[in-house]
Amino acid sequence: MRVVIAEDNALLREGLVLLLTSSGHEVTAVVGSGPEILPALLAHRPDVAVLDVRMPPGFRDEGLRAALEARKEIPGLPVLVLSQYVEESYAAELLVGGASGVGYLLKDRVGRVDEFLDALDRVASGGTALDPEVVTELLTRRRESPLAALTPRELEVLKLMAEGHDNTTIARTLVVTERAVSKHIGNVFLKLGLPPSDSGHRRVLAVLAYLNNA
Amino acid sequence: MRESLRQAWRATVHLVMAAAMAFGTILFITVLLITAAVTLAVVGAWLLPETVLLIRRIAGSKRTIVTAWTGKPIPEAYQPITGTLRERLRISVTDPGTLTDLRWMAAHYVYGCLLVLALPLWPVGLVVDGVRSGPLRREPVVLPLIVRLADLEARWSTALLRPSPKARLAERVEELTQTRAGAIAAHEAELRRIERDLHDGTQARLVSLSMRIGLAKRAYDQDPEAARRLLEDAQEQTEHALTELRLVVRGIHPPILTDRGLAGAVRALAASSGLEVTVEVEGLDHDDPRAPAAVEAAAYFVVAEALTNAAKHSGSPRADVHLARVPTGVRVAVRDEGRGGAEETGGTGLVGMRRRVAALDGTVTVTSPVGGPTVIEVELPCVW
Repeated sequence: MRVVIAEDNALLREGLVLLLTSSGHEVTAVVGSGPEILPALLAHRPDVAVLDVRMPPGFRDEGLRAALEARKEIPGLPVLVLSQYVEESYAAELLVGGASGVGYLLKDRVGRVDEFLDALDRVASGGTALDPEVVTELLTRRRESPLAALTPRELEVLKLMAEGHDNTTIARTLVVTERAVSKHIGNVFLKLGLPPSDSGHRRVLAVLAYLNNA
Repeated sequence: MRESLRQAWRATVHLVMAAAMAFGTILFITVLLITAAVTLAVVGAWLLPETVLLIRRIAGSKRTIVTAWTGKPIPEAYQPITGTLRERLRISVTDPGTLTDLRWMAAHYVYGCLLVLALPLWPVGLVVDGVRSGPLRREPVVLPLIVRLADLEARWSTALLRPSPKARLAERVEELTQTRAGAIAAHEAELRRIERDLHDGTQARLVSLSMRIGLAKRAYDQDPEAARRLLEDAQEQTEHALTELRLVVRGIHPPILTDRGLAGAVRALAASSGLEVTVEVEGLDHDDPRAPAAVEAAAYFVVAEALTNAAKHSGSPRADVHLARVPTGVRVAVRDEGRGGAEETGGTGLVGMRRRVAALDGTVTVTSPVGGPTVIEVELPCVW
């Protein structure tokens, strides 16, 4: 895959380049400040962009703004946004135009190389990757909701769905069969009163929309 | 006529009180002189501060009386008389408020007798104004003079009882000394907390992490499986350390405040509070100039604390947050329609909020009658 990286911290930038090139990806451009991001993306049209939220010159949310801007210019451009901390409202902003090809992860997750690369693949191929911490925040802030009716296993399945995983990965993570996963998903949708959806990003959107409005 | 009579009557009552007080002070000044004499003889040194306190009380009741007449409060500025006898004596003598009070007292002794002028006006007024408003159908002229006299009395009292700029300054210095001490204490406690969090949490984790990597290196050749497990463990430790570090950072200065400013950060808080929150912002939005960082942080923590309390205790599913830039700084108001009855002593939340706000010279007002609503209003003075 052809990747553009935007990260201002030299250590992390080198680490990301090393990680991506050593796992067979091509890093076509590396930029270190907010205003450089959009031109680089327009020039290189990568398969996926990996962007840091806080960048020079303002050290505020330049990366996130650039990501939103870029997706306006190049509809469907897969972006994986990395951040030192996760903020629910940032996730919501990224998902406004649809969950397709969107990722929002804590920088810590880069350390889990395989999982990180898996998330990157998922985003590049039009899927979703949401940090577990965002999902947990969404789940825990509801005081009284039908979520209470879910069994612990169903709750786990819901979390993994919201993070953007497909049935195969969910089954592998929970060490159960895919048939069992499908059954749990069916129950979750039934208990929450959601229309059954396919396994794509529409399902993620449905789940997130539910969590946001419950 | 009836209205004139009523007003003249009120004015007379006011003047009678003034006269009574003036008469009282004649006696009092005598007592004062004796005290001063005795104090010089060092026999009754303790009497002086007590006398000053008594004068303050008399001046205070005069302020109340005048305020009742004019409807305008008269500010007060005294230094608290506390400490050892020597200190109490020093404050009693040096407090500019003492001088103001004594000056008023002496002057009041004279002008307090305006009643003498008011009383003869009564029979004249009753006759003249009775005729004017009766057969002649004109406005009364004499009875309103009594009201004018009371006005005059009140105006002089206001002028004499208003603390001198020096007294106000002295009071302000006293207040600032206290809030600064509070701010330093809060700052120290905060630093200790951060130090403890970093020392016991992050640093300890990094040590254990380094240890595990060291062990993994040793095991690498003989027992690759053990090395793998140790590395796996090490990675988990790293992740824990990062999570803890994020929490510490959030406690020092919420990152979203830097990214989005006060309005954006508060909207994010509102969205994740679990309540249905409306956020109204005046003059503090994204494209407006930003308030000082310390003020933003304090306002943010106030809203966070208030929303947490509302979610935990109020029983209401809704809350309103109002942020506004006012001429004197920033005003924050959080209101919920819950069950009310919030207690200051109940938790450390409100206490911490007060301390944080006081450090910036701000004020916190909590109104929470049983049955609700609970309103927390905070003013943070600043210029930007």
